[in-house]
Amino acid sequence: MNTHEKLRGKVFDVRRFSTHDGGGIRTTIFLKGCPLRCVWCQNPEGLSLKSQLIYLENQCIHCGRCTTVCKNHAITLQEGKLCIDKGAADDWEEAIDSCPAACLTMDSKSYTVEELVKLTVRDAAFFRHGGGITLSGGEPLFQKDFAIALLKAFKEEGIHTAIETSCYVEQNVVKDALLYLDLIYVDFKVFDKNKHKEWIGFTNDKIKENIRFILESNKKDQVIIRTPLIPTMTADKENISAIGKFITSIYPEVKYELLNYNPLAKAKYNLVEREYCFAENPRMYTEDEMNEFRQAARNVGVKHLIIEV
Amino acid sequence: METLIKTKRVALLKEKMMAEPRYVSIEQALIITKTYEENQEKPVIIKRALALKNALLQMGIAVEPEEKIVGNRTIGVRHGVVFPESGSSWIDREFETLPIRPQDKFNVREEDIINFKKIIAPYFKEKSLEDIIRTRYGTEIDEIAKVVKINQKDHAQGHICPDCEKWLTYGPEGLKQEAIAKLQSGTKDQQDFYKSVILVMEGTQAFMMRYHDLLVEKAGQETDAANQVNMREVAVICKKLCMNPPNSFHEAVQSIWFLFVILHMESNASSFSPGRMDDFLYPFYKKDMKSGSIDKQKALEIIECIWLKFNQIVYLRNSHSAKFFAGFPIGFNIAIGGQDENGNDFSNELSFLFLKAQEHLGLPQPNLSVRLHKGTNEPLLKEAVRVVAKGSGMPQFFNDEAIISSMMNFGVSEKDARDYAIVGCVELTSQGNNLGWSDAAMFNLNKVLELTLNNGKCLLTGNAIGPDLGNLMDYKTFEELEDAFAKNISYFIDKMILACEQVEKAHIDILPSPFLSAVIDNCIQKGKDVTVGGAVYNFSGIQMIQVANLADSLAAIKLLVYEEKRISKEELLKALQNNFEGYEIIRTMLLKRAPKYGNDVAYVDELGAKWARFFSEKLSHYTNYRGGRYHTGMYTVSAHVPMGENVGASSDGRYAATPLADGGMSPVYGRDIAGPTAVLKSVSLLDNHLTTNGGLLNMKFLPEFFKTENNIDKFAKFLRTFVDLEIPHIQFNVLRKEDLLAAQKDPEKYRSLTVRVAGYTAYFTELAGELQNEIIARTSYGDL
Repeated sequence: MNTHEKLRGKVFDVRRFSTHDGGGIRTTIFLKGCPLRCVWCQNPEGLSLKSQLIYLENQCIHCGRCTTVCKNHAITLQEGKLCIDKGAADDWEEAIDSCPAACLTMDSKSYTVEELVKLTVRDAAFFRHGGGITLSGGEPLFQKDFAIALLKAFKEEGIHTAIETSCYVEQNVVKDALLYLDLIYVDFKVFDKNKHKEWIGFTNDKIKENIRFILESNKKDQVIIRTPLIPTMTADKENISAIGKFITSIYPEVKYELLNYNPLAKAKYNLVEREYCFAENPRMYTEDEMNEFRQAARNVGVKHLIIEV
Repeated sequence: METLIKTKRVALLKEKMMAEPRYVSIEQALIITKTYEENQEKPVIIKRALALKNALLQMGIAVEPEEKIVGNRTIGVRHGVVFPESGSSWIDREFETLPIRPQDKFNVREEDIINFKKIIAPYFKEKSLEDIIRTRYGTEIDEIAKVVKINQKDHAQGHICPDCEKWLTYGPEGLKQEAIAKLQSGTKDQQDFYKSVILVMEGTQAFMMRYHDLLVEKAGQETDAANQVNMREVAVICKKLCMNPPNSFHEAVQSIWFLFVILHMESNASSFSPGRMDDFLYPFYKKDMKSGSIDKQKALEIIECIWLKFNQIVYLRNSHSAKFFAGFPIGFNIAIGGQDENGNDFSNELSFLFLKAQEHLGLPQPNLSVRLHKGTNEPLLKEAVRVVAKGSGMPQFFNDEAIISSMMNFGVSEKDARDYAIVGCVELTSQGNNLGWSDAAMFNLNKVLELTLNNGKCLLTGNAIGPDLGNLMDYKTFEELEDAFAKNISYFIDKMILACEQVEKAHIDILPSPFLSAVIDNCIQKGKDVTVGGAVYNFSGIQMIQVANLADSLAAIKLLVYEEKRISKEELLKALQNNFEGYEIIRTMLLKRAPKYGNDVAYVDELGAKWARFFSEKLSHYTNYRGGRYHTGMYTVSAHVPMGENVGASSDGRYAATPLADGGMSPVYGRDIAGPTAVLKSVSLLDNHLTTNGGLLNMKFLPEFFKTENNIDKFAKFLRTFVDLEIPHIQFNVLRKEDLLAAQKDPEKYRSLTVRVAGYTAYFTELAGELQNEIIARTSYGDL
């Protein structure tokens, strides 16, 4: 009877007790894979769709058990340090199983829709008081069939659904997903086409089209457009004014939120062996600075600014 | 709520109180000794009544000109009272070390030590509760000490909720008349009981009058006009209360404070709790508000004055006991909100004023408890969360949905169960009619598992302290291990019950309590002291220590040894015997490759629930000395530290002699890694009948979590789900790590920093260093 039996999705985190990104107490499901390459990405572990081995060095007791079971000598113990040749093997199962400290793990897990729903409804008692689930990522709509099937399954369970998307997907995907969504957060990071390409890797035509589509849909009142404030990049009054003008021109009652810079992401970059956009981590904006940015949005006619108090 | 302030008067009184050094007082002990010497031939209950009466007549008293509520049991505030009838041998041993011991220090005066050793100790040698129990049953109690800690061996039980409503209705004169009316009939024992009630009520009246006289005298010397007016006003109240019940709100609050001062003077015990104060004080408040004689601000000031008073009585324990109950917990527990007698939502303006007082003062007492249920109104819940967010660790929350029905199943009437309150930390009781004896003993389930794995021998000393049923290598299946574990539990329950009976019997012989009995139904009616079973309900509570570690240990053995066979039986046993020295890989596997309680994993959670159920069921077959039932609780106060010291290395990867999980229902700190919702799910698997004596769930949040009104709303929703999940109790520490580290470095600057230690709030800087470290190490949630 179940059409999604074979459908599997890659998930890099299921976080219970999420208190942002939607009403009440939520479980946020982080789907792996993203088409964009924002230089400031907050979840770099979610970018690639490929599963990667993760080694939690600070929990390792350097017992060497994994070196004896792993094929192709992909893991070796050299001068008390574990060396992993990630290209040398594609099956890490035995190594992971051998580790007493559970410090070897895959960065994501594969689930069927049913498995994930079962895992999530454990907090159904909390969802009943205004909570629910939020799909995040990565770009949650990147695994489009799985994401839509998942949202549909949650709606069948009567669970409130939210999504955090960049909308960098085909319009029919957005259209299908909207059917099963109660709350839609859309990131609109950079208005200028060229800057968008420079920092994110692609131009933003598709994003603008999808935002127009959503803000003209019957779910337009359940949408919140968000801009993450990245110092020297998105955190620029001109950028905010341009975004504000664009979204209010489509729907004057649109809700808009400015997200303060989050300096915690930098720490994740060591784990995924990528380089972060700031060598020197900037600080968060003060409430006064935030208010100046907000004023820029108000000046171009944004009426509904979401401010957490 | 309109803006209500902490008045200058309250701020000044708080400052004065905090500046007072803490001393040991032997003043009452000298009066008691003299009374006993002069009345040697009289029955114990009469001696006790005369000793209390003489103390009420003779103890030095003092007042502050700004006080709206007066009275204390010693002339100084926060004094530790030596109470020779219950315990003097330990004081004899420890007197000199009280100022330097690691936990709960007191200053001592040289001449007090001399007088104590010369006059008090010699008289009470072999006569005190402590010595009598030691002589009668000391060896047997010592033999099981590593498994079972028997409590109340050197002090009165306390942990009781008096009938405040009756006290407010009758006052000392009314209660005296009640006893006089009964005096002519009855047996010799009953007549002695009534005589003793009359004696203590006479003392009470004199005590109140002495405050009147002192206030009038001091008012005459006072230069400040406002203070003069205040003192004369309070003097009139004291005089009135000695013959009449209170009429006004101010009078009622003063009357309640006198009640608790005298209860402490009679028993010197921990945890006499006012209970539902927003209920029994409300008629007075309502009347005064209606007539306009007070407004909210005035009422709040009176409330804050008694709130300060609740912090002026501390409790002197022996150094061993101070480790188990650290931070001078005195347990003035006040319950607000909850269901009324018909199950409808109950709260009123006083409930909110009590929360406001807690917010203004942030002191460890009273232990403020909010009763929640499905119908709790949103404003009360939100206001309570806002007060939690201030960081004093209060209020704590109780769940009517879990508690009322389980109390009824246990034999409490529906009316009494709906009207439940809390004594001490988290112990559940009906009000005014229940000697719950809630801290009868603590039973260390982890020690029993240790003995089961190791031929009945203690891993720390090698001594045989339990029956030899084999060791881990002998148990072919996990079920065989469980069978042996069950036998060992039953063995120690038997021993524990015999010891508890001896303690109860000694309390009857040494510590009858006529003043307390006068405010506990049905003592006066039956002519029976509360220690003999005069109360309507006569329970005994045993704490199970600690189900979290036990679940984790059993799950690790079951999964890693018997199912996956990652660890051999021999390896595990050797690893435990060697405290994991040379077995780091084994220990790591125990910690990391087996599921842990508190993460919503049924495999491990169900093992915890199963053994708690087994213990509770076994216990239910016994009857205590007063004819009541035994039941179980899951809370430790600070006992998880010393109880942990008694346990060798355990299969959950815990090193020998290190602390067990804190709280009672809480997971082992640092092992709950799936977040707060998973913790609640795991805890909700424990049946409510396991915690009819009280359960304690401790969670720590950083203040960041409460920064926004949005998150306060989320927190309220979290608590709504806590109610739905029928978990009996939850409390929160709201702290920053930096706060605690800074407080360790500079205790003087952080003197008023309070922290929740298990069921109560203590001053952080007054806790022993290791307990401070332990609190810092606990798990934190919130947006880190």
